[in-house]
Amino acid sequence: MFRKFVLITLGMALALSACGSLQSTNGTGELTKIRLPMGYIPNIQFAPFYVAIQKGYFRDAGIEIEFDYKFETDGVKLVGAGDVPFALVSGEQVLLARAQGLPVEYVTAWYQQYPVSVVAKSELGILIPQDLKGKKIGLPGLFGASYVGLRALLFDAHMSESDVTLDAIGFNQVDLMAAGQQDVVVGYTANEPIQLRARGIPVTEIRVADYVQLASNGILASEKVIKENPELVRAFVGAFLKGLSDVIADPDEAFKISESNIPNFSDLDADVQKQVLETSIEQWKTDRLGYSDPQAWENMQNVLLDMGLITEKMDLNKAYTNEFIP
Amino acid sequence: MNFNFIRILSKNNNRNWLGVVSLLLGLLAWYLITRYSGIPNFILPSPLSVWTRLLKALSDGSLIYHTGITLSEIVLGLLVGIMFATVVGYGLAKSRSLEKVLSPYLVASQAIPIVAIAPLLVIWLGDGILSKVVICALIVFFPVLVNTIVGVRAVPIALYDLMNSLHASRSQILWKVEAPASLPVFFGGLRVGATLSVIGAIVGELVDAEKGLGFLLQLGDFQYDTPMVFVAVFTLIALALMLYGIVTLLEKRFLKWQEKN
Repeated sequence: MFRKFVLITLGMALALSACGSLQSTNGTGELTKIRLPMGYIPNIQFAPFYVAIQKGYFRDAGIEIEFDYKFETDGVKLVGAGDVPFALVSGEQVLLARAQGLPVEYVTAWYQQYPVSVVAKSELGILIPQDLKGKKIGLPGLFGASYVGLRALLFDAHMSESDVTLDAIGFNQVDLMAAGQQDVVVGYTANEPIQLRARGIPVTEIRVADYVQLASNGILASEKVIKENPELVRAFVGAFLKGLSDVIADPDEAFKISESNIPNFSDLDADVQKQVLETSIEQWKTDRLGYSDPQAWENMQNVLLDMGLITEKMDLNKAYTNEFIP
Repeated sequence: MNFNFIRILSKNNNRNWLGVVSLLLGLLAWYLITRYSGIPNFILPSPLSVWTRLLKALSDGSLIYHTGITLSEIVLGLLVGIMFATVVGYGLAKSRSLEKVLSPYLVASQAIPIVAIAPLLVIWLGDGILSKVVICALIVFFPVLVNTIVGVRAVPIALYDLMNSLHASRSQILWKVEAPASLPVFFGGLRVGATLSVIGAIVGELVDAEKGLGFLLQLGDFQYDTPMVFVAVFTLIALALMLYGIVTLLEKRFLKWQEKN
């Protein structure tokens, strides 16, 4: 009886997974529908995707994208479980996920610079990591890219967490700094420093990327899709990189195209949004778009080992690949 | 196990064994699902991997430390929530005018998702323990308030007449009649409030976590350490059950007179 139950359950699971799995482009002109976990809310930083869709790059590649603005870690789990083929993730997530046995691989480096900065009120004169010694630093929590970025900065400056006081404040860096409750915070290079300056608060900024090269945000793929449908991976990456290239070449056009993809965009400060895009583009530019720098992955692994978030070195060649970029 | 034996067991052990059997069956079902369904460990860990993770978290002291933090927030939040709810509830029960003035605010406050205002509370009250205690107290407040009002209003008029005929003071009426008579209903609210208080503390910790079980939950999620997430969740369940049990014990202790009646 139990055997029958297990078989029925398995049969149902297989049927469901077949329904949810990818239909590769079959030459009939049908588009492959892909739900893409974005890891954040609709934002101008996703302009390469908005542009690639608007200009038909994904359609030409036989792909139809549905954005899914869920949490980054949920996206990684979905990719690991083989429920979706791709997700947008930060570099450290790839190693953390692989350390727990998730069958995932990073296939495109979108950001060439780790997008995290330490932001301080100008009057404190904090200009280099060593200036942070003895300071209280607010950050969303003792996890996530902000925490990893800060620890990498301290690691590079031969400092440790005990040299500073960390204060978990949630994603309230701008409000708490504006309210005078925090003087030094960690945030995203293309967000908090720009928002604070827009509010008339003069700040200095230490960009993690100016001190240490770390594997940053990019496209994660499941080992399943890489093995079973590498053409789809190549098509997806290619279409994205065309969009990325267009945004870098013409930010104004990208700005206009992105408007319709972001709810209430007209209510947002256009100057701030343009700065967010410009700063993001700075972090995307490179000679070979999408290229993963092996040293950046080595550095990320060392930082995670130092933090104790992973306990042993792993085979980084299985964590990322440059096979699918042009 | 024959039927008579089951009947004897149920009679002698007050059917407690049924709970144990239910728990074991649940664990067995969980194990079989993880064993045969092919669901990966990072989506649904097996009971064994959760148990192993629990032992590790106990041995390195992290679980005890974070549980202590969350428990202190819960206890403080409960005390503050109960205190305010009892005082306001008594006032509302005794004054229809006050009820008319305050009830729209109180009812409206329950429509606000606490998750949405938690980040604001952190900004207003700071990111220390105070914001977590207040979030916890806000969640506890309403069920205790409602039951206080209902309990006080359920005191039979005859008891007031009796006390008035004895020329009892307002204070004597409160402590000799209203408090004991409203206790059974009040404890009902307390049971709900005690279990909800766990959620309150976690909501606060999820907003700005650096310690507590909410932090462990987030850390487990960030590291794809799903067994750790389960350990934190089960610890929270244990805390809620413990608080519920304490309220039940207090209820038995304070309502002994009711059992005799």
